[in-house]
This record gives sequence, C-alpha cells and structure tokens, in this order.
Amino acid sequence: MKQIGTTRRGFLGTTAAFGALSLTPAWTTAAFAQVGGTLRLRIDGDNDVLDPGYMVGGTEVEAQKQCLPFLAEYIQEGDTFTWRPTYYVTKLEQRDPTHIDFELVEGLMWSNGYGMLKASDVKFSFERMKDSDWSGYFEALDHVEVTGDLTGTIVLNKPFAPFQMVTLCHGPGAIVCEQAVKDAGGRFTTQFPAVCGPYTYEATPGQRAVFTANPEWTGPKPAFDRVECNVITEVKAAELAYDAGELDCTELGSDTLARYLKEMPADTAVTTAGELQYMWMGMNTEHPKLQDIRVRRAIQHAVDVDTILQGAYSGTTAKSHGIICPGLLGQRQESGFSYDPAKAKALLDEAGVSGLSLTLRTLNVQERMLAAQIIQANLAAVGITVTVLPVDSGPFWEMGQESKGDTWKELELWIMRYGTTPDPYEATQWFVSDQVGIWNWERWTDEEFDRLYQEGIKETDEAKRRDIYLRMQQIMEDTGAYVWINHEPEAYAHHVSITINAAPSGELNYRRFTKS
Amino acid sequence: MLYYLTKRLGLSVVVICLVVLLLFSLLHLIPGDPATIALGPRATPEAIARYAEKMHLDEPVWRQFLIYIGNAATGDLGLDVFSDRPVTAIILERIGFTLALVAAGMGWAMLLGIPLGCLAAVKPNSWLDRVTGVLSVGTIAVPSFLVSIWALLIFAVHLRWLPAIGAGEPGDLGDQLAHLVLPAFAIGLSWVGYLARMVRASMLEVMGENYIRSARAFGLRPRRVIFGYALRVAILPTITLIGMGFGGMISSTVFAEIIFARPGIGKLIFDAVMARNFPIVQGAVLVATGLYILVVLFSDILIAWFDPRVRESL
Repeated sequence: MKQIGTTRRGFLGTTAAFGALSLTPAWTTAAFAQVGGTLRLRIDGDNDVLDPGYMVGGTEVEAQKQCLPFLAEYIQEGDTFTWRPTYYVTKLEQRDPTHIDFELVEGLMWSNGYGMLKASDVKFSFERMKDSDWSGYFEALDHVEVTGDLTGTIVLNKPFAPFQMVTLCHGPGAIVCEQAVKDAGGRFTTQFPAVCGPYTYEATPGQRAVFTANPEWTGPKPAFDRVECNVITEVKAAELAYDAGELDCTELGSDTLARYLKEMPADTAVTTAGELQYMWMGMNTEHPKLQDIRVRRAIQHAVDVDTILQGAYSGTTAKSHGIICPGLLGQRQESGFSYDPAKAKALLDEAGVSGLSLTLRTLNVQERMLAAQIIQANLAAVGITVTVLPVDSGPFWEMGQESKGDTWKELELWIMRYGTTPDPYEATQWFVSDQVGIWNWERWTDEEFDRLYQEGIKETDEAKRRDIYLRMQQIMEDTGAYVWINHEPEAYAHHVSITINAAPSGELNYRRFTKS
Repeated sequence: MLYYLTKRLGLSVVVICLVVLLLFSLLHLIPGDPATIALGPRATPEAIARYAEKMHLDEPVWRQFLIYIGNAATGDLGLDVFSDRPVTAIILERIGFTLALVAAGMGWAMLLGIPLGCLAAVKPNSWLDRVTGVLSVGTIAVPSFLVSIWALLIFAVHLRWLPAIGAGEPGDLGDQLAHLVLPAFAIGLSWVGYLARMVRASMLEVMGENYIRSARAFGLRPRRVIFGYALRVAILPTITLIGMGFGGMISSTVFAEIIFARPGIGKLIFDAVMARNFPIVQGAVLVATGLYILVVLFSDILIAWFDPRVRESL
C-alpha cells in the first residue's frame, strides 16, 4: 500500500502556498459600492412578514416604502417633522375633521399583471388593517368611500389630527393590491404578491434583501438601480463593515457616533434621522418610600443629567425636558428642575427622611447600566442609598404591569425608554388614568391630563396643540415622578457623495436617496 | 459491528430526546412571557393569542414536549413563528454554510496542525519543536471571537485584502471562498495548536514502542516508519479529538457567523433565542445535536476501521 509521504521542503512549500493564498488581494470586494448604481446597506434581520397588517416593523417598513404605494410621506421643515402627499396622489385634502379626500395618479401599474392602482385598493388596504396586529393605528378609521376608479374619501369615526403623520406616512399606511393579496390567501409573508413602486424585491434568508429597478414603474426613477441590504444583526459588525468599505451607509451606536463626531473618517458624513426616543427615570408615586412629593422632588434635584449624557452617552444625545421629542410639536426647551444637591438635601430634611435606601431597576444594556451607576453616585451624595438591579428585557417590560405579577408593588425607581411616532399624541397616551398598572408605572392620575389628551387628538390648530402638550408635560413633571434624561438619535454614517433619507423613527427610504 | 452501530444509534436517540427535554425546560425557565418578548411589549392581545396558540403555550410543558417529539419523528419541526415557513426548510438553507465553515476551519487546522505535531515529535527539543510548542499554546489560549475581531480589523478593515461580511455572491465559488477565508482562519486557529500538541504527544509515545524500534532495525526508511507505522497508530486519539472538535466548532461558529455576518446554524440559533422564536431554536439545536452525534459516531467507526484491536472488541 502506497503511503502518503512528506518532506520538510514539501511541507514548507505547502504551508507557504496556503498562507499566500489566504492573503491574496485578488478577491478584494471592498471597492466603493456606489459604482454601477448599486447601494449597499445593512438590515438587522430578515424581513419575515412584509404584510403591513402583520409585520414586526423596522426594516419591513423600509421594504414596504420601496415597493408599495403610500398616500403621504414625512418631510422635515426646519427643525420640525411634517408630511406631504406622495407621488402616488394628485390630491390628499382634509375636507373636514373626519373626511380626507384623495385622488390617485392615473396609470400606475401593479406588477405581475394585476392592473392599475385603484381607490378600491386603498379601501381594501385600510379597512383590513382594522382587524390586524396594527389595528391601533386605524382606531380612528371608520371606512373608506370609493367615489371613482381613482378617487375616494377616508372617513374617520372621530376627529384625529395625527392621522396623516401617524397612520398614512408610517408602515401601516402601505397600500396593497386587493386582488393580489386575495390570490395569496388574504395575507403574505416573505414576498410581495404585487409591487407598485420603483423597486422589486427579492430576499435570500439570512443573507440579504435585494431591491432592483422595477421595469414597470413609470414614476420618478430612484438614484440607484440596485440596493443590496445585507443582514447584519449586530450594529458593531455593521460599523466594521462600513469601515471596511463594504457598506455605503449604516446605523451607528452611540460610542461609535461619538468617535466619528470627534474624528470623522475620510469621505464620511453622519446624518441624524430623528430623536424619537425619550428616556427618563421614573418613580412609583404609590410606594411608601416615595409617597411624599418632597422626596420625589429631592431626587429630581439630586440627579445630574448632564453627567449622564457625557458619561453614558459620550455627549451624543439630546437632553430631555419632557416626553415630546425634538422636532415635534410641544417639545419643551427646559425643565422645571435642575441639578441642585443642596436643594435636594433640604427637601429631604424638610420631609424628615434620612437613611433612605431605594432600588433602581434598568434594562441590562451598557448605556443604561452606566446611567444607573451615575444616578447611584448622585443619590449617594445626598444620603440616598441606591441598589442598581439590572433586568433582562423579558421581566423588565412586565415590571409595572399588574396583569403580569406583583412586581409593580415593589417598584421604586427605574430607567425607562419609550419610542414614539412623529406626533406628540402617541407619547402622551401611555400616561392617562386608564394606563395605570399597564404603561403608567408611576401610577398617578390627573383629570386635566386626561381631558387634554382627548383635546390634543382632535385639535388641528398647531398653536393650540402645542400649548396642550406643553401643559400635559408640566402636569407630569409636577407629580415629581420623572427625571427627564435624553432623546437618543437614530444616526447613520454614509459616504459623502450620497444624501440619505430616513423617517424620523429611523427607517431608511432608499427611493429618496440622492447622489450629490 | 452491526450490534455496535445499533447500540450507538439507540443511544443517540436517547441523547437527542434528553437534549430536547432540557431545551424545553430551559426555554420555559427564561423569565418573562415568551409572547410579549417575541412580539414586543406593545403587541395586541390578538397577536399574543395567535402566538400562544401557534406555540401551544397554553398547554403544559410536558404536553408541548410530546407534541414536538411526535412531529419531529415525522420530520416536521414546525413553522417559523413570524414567517410561517417550515423550520426544516430554514435550517436546510443555513446548514450548508455552517458545514462549509466548520470543514474549512478544521481542514486548514488539520493540514497545518498534524504535520507540525509530527515534525515536533520526530525532532523533540529542536528549535522547531520549541516554536511549535509556543505557537500551539498561544493559539489555544486566544478565544476564537477575539481572533475573529482581530482578523476582521487587520485583513478587512485595515488592509482591505479580504471581504468582511457575508457569504459571497450565490453561484460565484471564488467569491464564496474569499468570504470563507477569515471566518475559517478564526475558528480553526486554536485547533492548529490542539492538534499539534495531541499528535506530538501521541507520536512521542508511539515512537518509543518496540515495533517502531524493530522497523528501524530492519532498515526501513525514516519516512516510512513515521508515516507508515507510527502516525497510523498515533492518529487514533487525534481522530476522536477531531470528531469532537467538529461538534465544538458548530458552537464556535456562532461568534464567527455574527461577527462576519455569515448565514449559518449558529447565527440562526442566536437570532431565534433573542426573538424567542422557539420552533427555530428547538429545530436548529436538534439538528446541531444530531450532527454532533453523527460526527462522533463516524469518528468511532473510523477508529475501528483503522485499529483492528478496537474492531475486534466491538
């Protein structure tokens, strides 16, 4: 039997060849990605459900924006987010508080032979949403009246001022092809049954989603013929891929954003889509240790928010003064309290409280853990001992909910962050009286707040709406149950030669990207 | 041999059942409502109810376990909670990438580690032996996720010689191989050290045996003695190690697949655990366990084939 043999020379030769092979630059794929009209981006997971009624959200909305019609889209005017009609409509007008008339552009065709985009598609799309997982966005919808092939009226069951911003511009406002969805069995998951937009969609699970120019699209051509969205779960891996030149645009974590802002890499720009997250430290007003408002106010004055913004977020986030985020109607410019340890001590003395010990619960993520440690140090300086309790996401989101156990009774302090849509009404809805024990974990009620919430939904006069939301935040602050912390940005790094477009909540809209 | 195989396969079924049972228990011990975690804190009650129904969450755990085992026995691993796609199809899409990565990682580790171990044993205490020893311990000590990050930073970000993310263009073998280099390097590096140390130790033991001395006394050429007689016996424990290494590498690939954004079983399990997508977690772990058992079984059979003493004892 012949034996396999080797010599030292042979071995060294093989090893050298193997090494050289692994280092050969011939496979370099890091050439700048825009060449040839291809844009390379990151998505954080597979698009499992593209159907607007049953989607998870996030990048699925991005896919819908490229392939499906919408009646309205977000724009930014100065520092404020607002909306405008899309290319798909020649008319989108609010006739009165409960009627919105629309007229579709003639001749826009669905793919796969499903014919022209019609008003009946709008009716089908919106009315099916009332029974979907996203029905909350269509609570105010009564029905859609079709008045012609291309015309119709959206009829609301009550005046709802944010309908355009919250419902029509966002993912649930996507219009699907009635016949195609019916042919697909009433809902769809990983493929669109028909598209009517500048791109067609194809995905390789676990690898990427590819948008290619739709040959049947007669509307405005996008700047890029092809968009490749690579599935990269971890934002850090995406940042490295951007550094390696394999992506043209990626979301940034707060530490990388700080690094980029300090020393911007070559040919790179950073764009902030929006800051629609609001974070605060909450206090349970019903807890025996925190029932005295002087104790809660003492805590408000004891926390040094500026240090949190620097220490935990490297100065990359906007300081918060309430729950209404930057760019939205009703954002406050300052809080009614400031960092003042002497005042905090005086308030504690006035309340006759000493040796107070509290538990601060937070999600076990890096930035919030750092924020919790800073708060711990701040409160220790005024004589309050704080135990930081990091909690996994599962139990964290159940802590204040009465239906999920008894933890709500033990809640004292916690760091919370909510996200919102670009209208002030959504941020306020979690603090009305009937949310106590659900999402109002601070457990206060206020009749004026509840009344203003209803008024804010109906009010269409911007000045009056602004006043309503400013007053609502004042009521919240006066409970002493909140220490406003920050609004985290949705920041993207991208090549300087492209201008990106993103919704205020961070979803990219590739069809509105431009080459500069 | 047939009896041996039957016994081993029977044991494998028991092991798989135990793994699934353990997995079921662990998944249900994770704090928090699985439906809320999977669908987000503000999911509608209808969506939560639909999820619970799909996952049989309203049934006792033992019953969920029996339903699952019953379905799995017929090849039905259930449906993905979100996309409604068959879990089997999703696993089949990804498993090739993981197997390719493991084969490449272990392949290059074997190509380098086994000859290095032989050479070190043939010339003990030489400079080659000492260098091999230092490198072996060094590579064993560095965790693969760290190697992944360094490799990515040096070869992809700084030098831009190799691609950083993905598995390459479908249908383009060259591109796919290029995308395999860094992850395979990262997960295989520590195995170079393991294999070199193991082969060296086994070879040193075998080289002192009487039959090797006799072979030398008969005047056989050193190469024939080393590779024809000594390595054939010394490789046996290494085969077992490689078999177990394949199994271990399936778990090592999690880091590489996440860092290099490669599709694969490891990343699939990680993503599914984060999303509490139980059918995917259970299906993928079941398949990974099955693979591990198969590889170990194969390595045992290989040893029996190589070593008549083992064969006769079966």
